[in-house]
Amino acid sequence: MNKGRILAVALFAALLVGCETLPEDAFRLSESALELREIQSRTYEGVTDIEILSASSGVLQDLGYTIDEVEKELGVLSASKRASAKDDVEIASKIALDVLDCLVTFMIGCEDDAYQSSKDVQDIRMTLVVLPDLSEERTYRVRLTMQRLVWMKSGDLYEQETINDAAVYQAFFDKLSKSVFLEKEGV
Amino acid sequence: MIARVLIVAMLLVVAGCAAPTAVITASGSQVELRQMQTREYDTLDKRGALRAVVATLQDLGFVIDKADFELATISATKLQDYEIRMTVTVREREGNRLAVRASARFNEEPITDPAAYQDFFTTLDKAMFLTLHEVD
Repeated sequence: MNKGRILAVALFAALLVGCETLPEDAFRLSESALELREIQSRTYEGVTDIEILSASSGVLQDLGYTIDEVEKELGVLSASKRASAKDDVEIASKIALDVLDCLVTFMIGCEDDAYQSSKDVQDIRMTLVVLPDLSEERTYRVRLTMQRLVWMKSGDLYEQETINDAAVYQAFFDKLSKSVFLEKEGV
Repeated sequence: MIARVLIVAMLLVVAGCAAPTAVITASGSQVELRQMQTREYDTLDKRGALRAVVATLQDLGFVIDKADFELATISATKLQDYEIRMTVTVREREGNRLAVRASARFNEEPITDPAAYQDFFTTLDKAMFLTLHEVD
């Protein structure tokens, strides 16, 4: 009976692992949600929502993004771009496996491209939302959220994640502030 | 005895994985699904409601894929170790109310767990409260 029970539990556990379940906190605000909101938001005064959206499009074009969606009624703008991911740190063990693979296949295609597990490109996706500050005229709050998918040379997905790095958002808002200024000056 | 335990374990696991399909195709459950995915709000401020939905999705780490004010439809994606795709619609209901309906997919499977939608609406409630009261 004991053996049977252990076997049943083991089988149950093994099958459960195969059946990935929704994390409990998927639709709950994380502890860092407020902090993230601050990192991802900036307030602009003395502008219109159209000026901010135009300035944002300008910055995104400067940065090589393609605009995927704009809905000015809701102040929503989404964009994406594909960029190199080669300067990222590569995973040693995966590379080691590739090298082994190379040796096994008698050095065929063992140049740089052979390292199938090395990161190749990343797709960056972002949404920018412009909301009016209802207590102040001509004041808008801009919130940006970014994600990325990193692909390996083999074409497999290496990782997907939400970008939470404050420096990334800071860099974007620096450019947006300049662009908003240029937009207002009509440059 | 061992066989019986194993069969029960197997059935439980299979039921756990296959439930989404079963829920959608089984008769009568469509109503149930709609109920768990819908919440009504005492307002006719469609713009405010949609803005609250967008703010909530951003708070939860989603990127907006599509947004349409006229059709009051928002689609968004969350990328973590998993992927969640979600569509939220806002419709007018009788009695000066708005019904917000959310439907989501976790990786390859539709989400049919009422607790997940409950969590979403709990988060949305706060954003709705703020947005609608700022409007007043």
